[in-house]
Amino acid sequence: MLSRVSSKAGKTVGRSALRSSVARLAVKESRRNIVQPSGADRASVVDVPSTYQEDNMLGFKLEMPRREGSVSEKARPIYLDMQATTPVDPRVLDAMLPYFTDQYGNPHSRTHAYGWEAEKAVEDARKHVADLIGADPKDIIFTSGATETNNMAIKGVARFHKDRKKHIITTQTEHKCVLDSCRKLQEEGFDVTYLPVQKNGIINLEDLEAAIRSDTSLVSIMTVNNETGVIQPMKEIGEIVRKHRGVYLHTDAAQAAGKIPLDVNELNVDLMSISGHKIYGPKGIGAAYVRRRPRVRLEPIMSGGGQERGLRSGTLPSTLVVGLGEAARLAKLEMARDHAHIKQLSDRLINGINAKVNHVVRNGDVDGYPGCVNLSFAYVEGESLLMALKDIALSSGSACTSASLEPSYVLRALGAAEDMAHSSLRFGMGRFTTEAEVDYVVEKIVAVVQRLRDMSPLWEMVQEGIDINAIDWAQH
Amino acid sequence: MATPPTRQSLLHLYSSMLRTSQSFSSYNFRQYFVRRTKSTFREIQNETDPAKLSAFYDEKTKELAALKRSAIVNQLYGGWRLVVEDQKPSKEKSNS
Repeated sequence: MLSRVSSKAGKTVGRSALRSSVARLAVKESRRNIVQPSGADRASVVDVPSTYQEDNMLGFKLEMPRREGSVSEKARPIYLDMQATTPVDPRVLDAMLPYFTDQYGNPHSRTHAYGWEAEKAVEDARKHVADLIGADPKDIIFTSGATETNNMAIKGVARFHKDRKKHIITTQTEHKCVLDSCRKLQEEGFDVTYLPVQKNGIINLEDLEAAIRSDTSLVSIMTVNNETGVIQPMKEIGEIVRKHRGVYLHTDAAQAAGKIPLDVNELNVDLMSISGHKIYGPKGIGAAYVRRRPRVRLEPIMSGGGQERGLRSGTLPSTLVVGLGEAARLAKLEMARDHAHIKQLSDRLINGINAKVNHVVRNGDVDGYPGCVNLSFAYVEGESLLMALKDIALSSGSACTSASLEPSYVLRALGAAEDMAHSSLRFGMGRFTTEAEVDYVVEKIVAVVQRLRDMSPLWEMVQEGIDINAIDWAQH
Repeated sequence: MATPPTRQSLLHLYSSMLRTSQSFSSYNFRQYFVRRTKSTFREIQNETDPAKLSAFYDEKTKELAALKRSAIVNQLYGGWRLVVEDQKPSKEKSNS
């Protein structure tokens, strides 16, 4: 103990002068034993040289893996963007891992056991996907995702029938990949009708019926909207389309499959798009449902080995296919439980926000998919709200357009004013979201919206009773 | 006809599933599997049909094996804690 006391004294008087005597004292008088470890103060700590740079160790770049327990520990934000993508369910990953390690065969190899086991896994997965939407396994075609499926369905059907039919119908609130495929077809000389939607985001069935012409080859309408969660009445749409012979119905069910019950025969759907990473599966895999009876004929985009009924050539990624299959199986198994859980969370979120913040508008139909809640906070700019909510992973619209500051075209199609479309936030809840997370989000949103509104001159004017729309802004 | 699982074996399975669920290092997965285990076993609590009980037992045994493997993988690559969780107490430098 003497060593410690004396070294402390040494520090105050002058280190260099006393160091030698202290060291001698310490050696002589404190006999170290096992219960008395030396303190850090006995170590000869020197300052780093002035040339030392934090991030550069003698020319070597030190890249520490940033993991739990490392020095730079940081809390992860809450994930509330389940429309963009969902985490891979651990059970899905568990089903995939064997095909990443030992069972690496090509599912199209017919000559050896590696191929057979991979083929069997692919066929099982096909069955699970088919069961999810009430289809026959032979109707399922694996693709790289919903975007590819949408391209394949829209361009494929339109181009196959281009000699006699030149007209396609879609809606204004479709996903970008559908709209862009249609735009491409317009360049090729097709005629496209973009149906408007009502204020709640649902199309008017009479508009649809009126838009169908004798040369219409395809109607493409998404089941659940990715930005507002609006569910289109596919059953009624299917009935209308079925009345017209030779018109095929395609639906983009990327946000719907596995979340709401779907049956292709009940809905009279001829083509359907499914995405793996929206149903807790891996990214980079999707499926197309292409009806065989009555047969839907389409021109394939990919030419090649003729896999997947010749519609999508290329070796199947058996690992990802297994993941999609397992995800589909789990989605069917858990659908009721997940839906009840998500509905409860969604009510909790909406009620929590409504109780404490006014001037909040819910975009889209209130009876839509509960896991997608699109709210507009009036007099608050959406992007600044997102910036202030660092602890929450949210989006103001679809991930594809999240890089641009343009207001969402989906909300504009719903008739939302520009300022409301700018101030929207999309809350996506899913299987793994918890009540504690929703409570945390409500608390944060309420605080941040209040703070931003307190800063806003517009909000001040509203409080004073000035009608903002009546102001003539151009008078300076 | 297989003999139905005893109440004790079901309870044992329940506790192992709960324990495995708790061992996930990611907050969301841990909460989900705990919640799911509790609700699935509660549903079967008053079931007396031996065929159904056997099927349930078999299914859950398979699930437990998958869950155990998943938990290990999750622990290997487990991330940081979420903001809603109790953060680890900041480590103070111990003197000596």
